[in-house]
Amino acid sequence: MTLQKDPEGFEKKTLHKFVDVENARVLEIGCGEGRLTWKYAAASSLTVGFDPDHSALRIARADLLTHLHGSAQDKSRGTHVHFTCASAKHIPFPKETFDIAILAWSL
Amino acid sequence: MVHALDEIRRTLKPDGILIDLRPVEDHWTVEVASGQNIQAAGRLTDMPVGVADDEAAFRAMHEVESHGWFTREREEEFSFFYYWDTPSEMKEYMDEEWEDFEKMEENVYRAAQSLWSTANADARVRVRVKMLITRWRKNQF
Repeated sequence: MTLQKDPEGFEKKTLHKFVDVENARVLEIGCGEGRLTWKYAAASSLTVGFDPDHSALRIARADLLTHLHGSAQDKSRGTHVHFTCASAKHIPFPKETFDIAILAWSL
Repeated sequence: MVHALDEIRRTLKPDGILIDLRPVEDHWTVEVASGQNIQAAGRLTDMPVGVADDEAAFRAMHEVESHGWFTREREEEFSFFYYWDTPSEMKEYMDEEWEDFEKMEENVYRAAQSLWSTANADARVRVRVKMLITRWRKNQF
């Protein structure tokens, strides 16, 4: 299978036009395998992606090494991207934690 | 869905931003792309589950807006493309992944095959998905 999604990068361009994630604390709801996460997370101060799908999160965590840990930016900042298994019905964070929430293909 | 949006609201700082980014059913177009040359083969058929999901999402956001939890600041549609090397790969993917949401009728598949087989060697098939992005601002009470 040779599926390619959004090679033109329209989604990333549009997302960045709508919100500035620079140094923001971002919550991504329904992050799945992290496909969207990698398009903005490097610029954030903290990104937490959550999803109820364990196997998708396993892929997201494995890809963390490829997508962020190799960058100079991440080396200077330390790990700031986390994935956790949760449902949007009970988000396991205190109130007023995040600057931005992204519903990623999940509403 | 509304409860989940309330949970999201709880975790957002005052004046925080909610981005709702999602595909919406709209008889997405099947196209054959070769360089700058794009040819439409036809449109997909929206399935009831997908249509109902969209309606539920719009209803939830409308309810959230009417509660005064968030204010809609900006909204835009854009295209998101799925590409495959061949029509058969496209069909296989749709049958496995989109069966509840979108259906490719036989005549559309045949048109895609025909256009693809007579196009240049670099031709690929793609589906133009309609995307909606909305920026909401958390309101204070």
